This record gives sequence, C-alpha cells and structure tokens, in this order.
Amino acid sequence: MSVIAVFAVVPVVMITLLVGLRGVAAMRTTSDFLVASRRVSPLLNSAAVSGEYLSAASFLGVAGLVVKDGMGALWYPVGFTAGYIAMLALVAAPMRRSGAVTVPDFAEARLASTALRKLAAVTVLVVAGLYLVPQFRTAGLVLSVVSGGPYWVGVVIAAAVVSVTLAVGGMRAATYVQAFQFCFKLLLFIVPAIWLLLQVTPDVRHEAVHPVPFTHFARDTPVDFGLEVTLEVHEPLTVRTGDGAPLTIPPGEFRVAEGTRLTFPAGAPVPDVRGGAPPGGPDWQRPLLDVQDTGHPLLGTWAILLATMLGTMGLPHVLMRFHTSPDGRAARRTAAITVTLLGVFYLFPGIYGTLAKVLVPQLYLSGATDTAVVALPSQVDSGAAGTVFTTLLTAGAFAAFLATSLGLLLVVAGAISHDLVPGGLARLRFTVVAAAAAVVLLALPSARLDASVLVTWGFTVAASTFCPLLVLGIWWSRLTAAGAIAGVAAGLLATAGAIVFTLFGPPVDGWQAILVSQPAPWSVPLAFGTMVVVSLFGRPPAWSTTAMLRLHLRERRDPVPLRGRDPGHSSWSARRSSAVRRMIRRLGR
Amino acid sequence: MTQHRRVAVTSPQTRLAHARRRHRTAWRPPTLDPGEVRQAVHTYRAQRRWALLALAMLFALLIGLPIILRVTPELDHARVLDIPVSWLATVVIPFPAMILIARWHLRRAERAEDIDPPRDPVVPRGEGPGECP
Repeated sequence: MSVIAVFAVVPVVMITLLVGLRGVAAMRTTSDFLVASRRVSPLLNSAAVSGEYLSAASFLGVAGLVVKDGMGALWYPVGFTAGYIAMLALVAAPMRRSGAVTVPDFAEARLASTALRKLAAVTVLVVAGLYLVPQFRTAGLVLSVVSGGPYWVGVVIAAAVVSVTLAVGGMRAATYVQAFQFCFKLLLFIVPAIWLLLQVTPDVRHEAVHPVPFTHFARDTPVDFGLEVTLEVHEPLTVRTGDGAPLTIPPGEFRVAEGTRLTFPAGAPVPDVRGGAPPGGPDWQRPLLDVQDTGHPLLGTWAILLATMLGTMGLPHVLMRFHTSPDGRAARRTAAITVTLLGVFYLFPGIYGTLAKVLVPQLYLSGATDTAVVALPSQVDSGAAGTVFTTLLTAGAFAAFLATSLGLLLVVAGAISHDLVPGGLARLRFTVVAAAAAVVLLALPSARLDASVLVTWGFTVAASTFCPLLVLGIWWSRLTAAGAIAGVAAGLLATAGAIVFTLFGPPVDGWQAILVSQPAPWSVPLAFGTMVVVSLFGRPPAWSTTAMLRLHLRERRDPVPLRGRDPGHSSWSARRSSAVRRMIRRLGR
Repeated sequence: MTQHRRVAVTSPQTRLAHARRRHRTAWRPPTLDPGEVRQAVHTYRAQRRWALLALAMLFALLIGLPIILRVTPELDHARVLDIPVSWLATVVIPFPAMILIARWHLRRAERAEDIDPPRDPVVPRGEGPGECP
C-alpha cells in the first residue's frame, strides 16, 4: 500500500515545487511576497481562490459528514459557496480599493488605530490556527491510512513542502500553485466519481438512493480503530482480532484500544457508538442538519449556514487573495467567478457520501469517516483500476491540504511579521518556516480532534470578528476605532468562551446545545451590536466619512479627473472643502 | 574575478536608508477631491442598494429552502430519476440559484460604477436618472 502513497504524494509535491518555482522570478519587496505585486487576472485569481478554499474539509470532509450525520451535511457546501456572494456584494471591491495588504492593514487604513491592527493580527492567528491544525492533521491521517506509516510522517511531509514552496516563492508561487491545484482537484474529484458511479453494481446504486439503516454487517468487515472508541454492545458478539483469534464481547460498554483491528462477522448486529445514531435511519435521510439529535433541525441548519457564509467573508487567507487583484473591479469579478467554480465542484460530494454510506458504513464505528472518499475505490474494484483511483484521490486530497495550507501559512506569516512585528522580506521567509514548525507541534497531539468541528470553529471566529469589522467599516461611516476594537474583542471572547464550554463544560441539550456548539447565531449579532453601540457613544473623527467613501471610489481611468475644468483653480467654488462637507453631510440623511 | 562584476553606486546615505528597517510613516487622514466625493457618494448609494438586494435574495434562498424541506417531508419520498427530491433540492436548487445571483449582482455593480454622477455641482444628489437601467 505504501506504493500508493509514494505515487500519490511525490508527483503532487514535485509539481507543486515546479509550479512554485515559476513564481520566484523578480521578488524584491514585501508586497511582491504577500500580494504577488497585484497583477493577478480575475480568472486565474478565482481559480486560485477556489483551489485554496477547497480544503480537506471539502475534498474529504463533506462526504465523510454525509456518512456520519446524514444528507443534511450537504448544507455545508451551500454555506461555503454563499459566502462568496456576500463577499462579492459587500467586501470584494472596497476591500481591494483600500490598498491594504492584509486585513489588519485594512483596519488601520480605515480607522487609524494601531491597537486595532494588533488585535486584528491576533485574530488572524486564532482563525488560521483553528484552520491549519486540522489540515495538517488530516494530511497525516490520510497518508498513514494509505501507506500504513506513522501519523507524524504525513504531518512533517506536508509542513516541509508547504513551507519550502512559500518561503521561496511567496504569494506569486502560491497563486500559480493554487490555481493549478484547483484544476487538478476538480479533475481528481469528478473523474473518480463518474468511474465509481459506472463501476458499482445496480444493487449499490439502488441502495444509495433507498438507504437502509446500518444495523447488521452485510459481510465480514474488518474495522481499523485508529483512535480509542467506546462501543455499546446489546447482545454477545464474537469478533476476530487482528491476529485472527476470536474474541467475544459481552453486552454493555466495550472499549476498543487505539490501533486495534477487529473483524466483525457477516450478519452480526452493529454495535452503537456513544453519541451517534447509525447512518441510514430516517433522521439520516432528512436533508436538514440535526447534528446532536436536539430536535431542532431548522435551527441547526441555519446556524451552520450562518457560520460558514459569514465566516467565509472574514477568512483572512481568502481576503488576502482579493488583494492580489489589480483593481476593485477585478476583485469583484474574482468573487463572482469563484461562485461558479465552487458550484461545479460541490455537485459531487453528495455522490461520494451516498456511495460511501452503502460501501463503507463501518467507518462510522471507528470515527474515520474523513477517509471515506479514499476508501471507496478499493471497495468497488480490488484490481489495478481500484489502486489507480485510490492513488488519484489520495493525490487530490494531498493537493487540497497543500493549497489551503499555503494560503493560511502565508497569512500567519503576514500577521506576525507584517502586522505584529514589522520586518523585511527575509524575516517574512523565516516566519513562514517557524510558523509551519509551530503548527506541526500543535497538529501532532490533535489526531483525535474532529477536523470539521475545528474548521467550523475557525469559520465562526471569523464570522464574529472580521465580518462585522469589514461590513461596518466599508458601509457605515460612523464606526469608530473604539467600537471596532470592542466588537472584535466581544466576538473573539464569545466564540472562545463557547469553544471552551463545548470542550470542557457540562453537557447541555436541546436548542441550547446548538447555540453552545455553533455560537454563530448569537455571537455574530453580539459583535455587530457591540460595534454599533460603542461607536454611537463615541464620536467618529472628521475624516471618517471620507475614509469610507474612498473605498467606494472607482479607480481612475482617465488621467484628468475633472474634464473641461482647471482642477487647480481655487476660485471654482466646488473645489472648496466646504463643498466636500456639504456633499458628505447629505450622505448621513 | 570577472570584469563584469556589478557595483552599487548609491551614496552611503541612501544605502543606510535602505538598510534601515522602514518605520511606519505618520498616518494622514485621507482627502478626496470634490469631484471624487460626488462620484463616491453616487457609487456608494447605488452599490449599497444592489448589495442589499443581492443579500435579500441570498437570505430568502438560505432561510426559505430549509423551511420548505422541513414542512414538506413528503418530498423525501417523491423521486426524480429514482433520487429523492429533497436530496436533489439541497444541490440542484442552491448552486444554480447562487450562480445566477452572483452574475446578476456583478452586472448591476459594474454598471452602477460606470455611470458618471450628474455633472451639475449644485445638485449632487446620488439618485440620478441613469442609475437604474
């Protein structure tokens, strides 16, 4: 099996480095490094945005969530895509026109507050950390499943490739790599999906759309427990352990140790996993997200949609990509094209999810549903074709980690050595490597954390900090620096509190459980409200409206701004600052 | 060594200035030209309207579709091509609808930007006649 890993990873790594080297030419300044000198066309940029955005959570995670939580998981991609419409309508062009290089830069350009800049940089680190750790973790897990090697090897390989590409090539390299990887991922996702659909037997196709609850094993099923799992067994169950010895599990709770392989015989009842219903039941089939069986599927679905949609608008690595556009118009086009590109990609996770429910439902027992996509081809074809498609899907998944991690690491490096401790290009390069090392250290002990949970938290933090900061900063002239700081701090504390409560607090149920584990429905309004109220108590500086209007001003296309008039002639009444004040005053009404 | 070795010919002061870490320059409030202000106010109003409309459509889709699926469980049993309609509805409806919203908004926003505000400086109100085609 390690052949698969070699053939999947080595070409992706080689191509990444080769494409990355193409971007190395002529890089001298921080701006070259961080925003590719702002010379990226809308189509290339939107391919790069999509390539960066389609992370492991999209490539593997959505199909895995379908197996685990049911068809409602298909709402995740809807929220992921909807974010770009919000971005297109509210943020893309004005953000680019601010001329900033990073999100903290933007905050300072609009509100002239160094404290806000530092706070925004810290928020970038929190969001990027919540997003990067699961990427590295999933890279390690998939590589260890495919190759049989240890978990840390995959993590270290991913970190090494990402940091070398980035340290050498910066944003320009990242742009080409990500755009290339979008096409690569699209191909590696669609072709195997069609092959799988054609290759499976009509029975499987029929069962995929007429799901039956997974209550009995259809055949002798080996399950690898990579992590410790507690099973609930209702009647005595005889399984075979890894070395073939029979083992009878008595009724009650049974702890499966880490790294065990159990083979369940055909016809045996499926044990329950604590805190989950078996896939295929009536709740599983409902296309709404009732994650913890709280009985409020609508609230659960809306909470996820809100977090993913508004979170996308505040993801620092995605926002950074918009700064690489040459002007506001191109940034807006980038967002619009991205919606289409993502829409094409997201037609397919559902196919993988429904097929995986039929072919590999046992992954739900070990909690390794993230590997469902990669596990499918070998179930359909045990020969060479199955191996080839497993290799292709592994390569695509690895490309997904690389592209996303590139963007995130760049943002982390930018936040540290551009916003927190400003330095030159050499410092930026060094920071990239140091940040990658730090993330590896964080990812090594977090193998048991659920990737989709961490990523959703990243989205929630972004939705309750940067989303209000950007929306109010761009569209409301009365926002003050104090209001922005208070709002970002409130959003950050609220989401951090909810995360800590979910991890360590007492269990809650009902609709409170949704609001604790998915705090977006209250934390986003809280952040907006804090910003508005604190700003209304303060007094915006005199230049505040001009600073906001500047973001909406289209780029000058004609070299002479005022045609037919001498712009320097002071006797023309409209040039007086009183004229500017009069026009601005009207805006408030 | 080779004869073509290139040598820096900047003055020592310039080299010093380049080598020194650049400190952030003093921040100055942004200024706009009156013509630019008129243009910006005009675009701001138009863009705000189109943005709100696009968001309203998006929210109608994202709030309405789950409600429809919630109140009509019989869609789980209706089938098109043997696939439950309610499953299809989470994929086949939102993505094309979102692509259409994005294209619509992009066209409106670009058109709003292309239109010059009314030229008369005495009446610089944003609600010009050419704004809504």
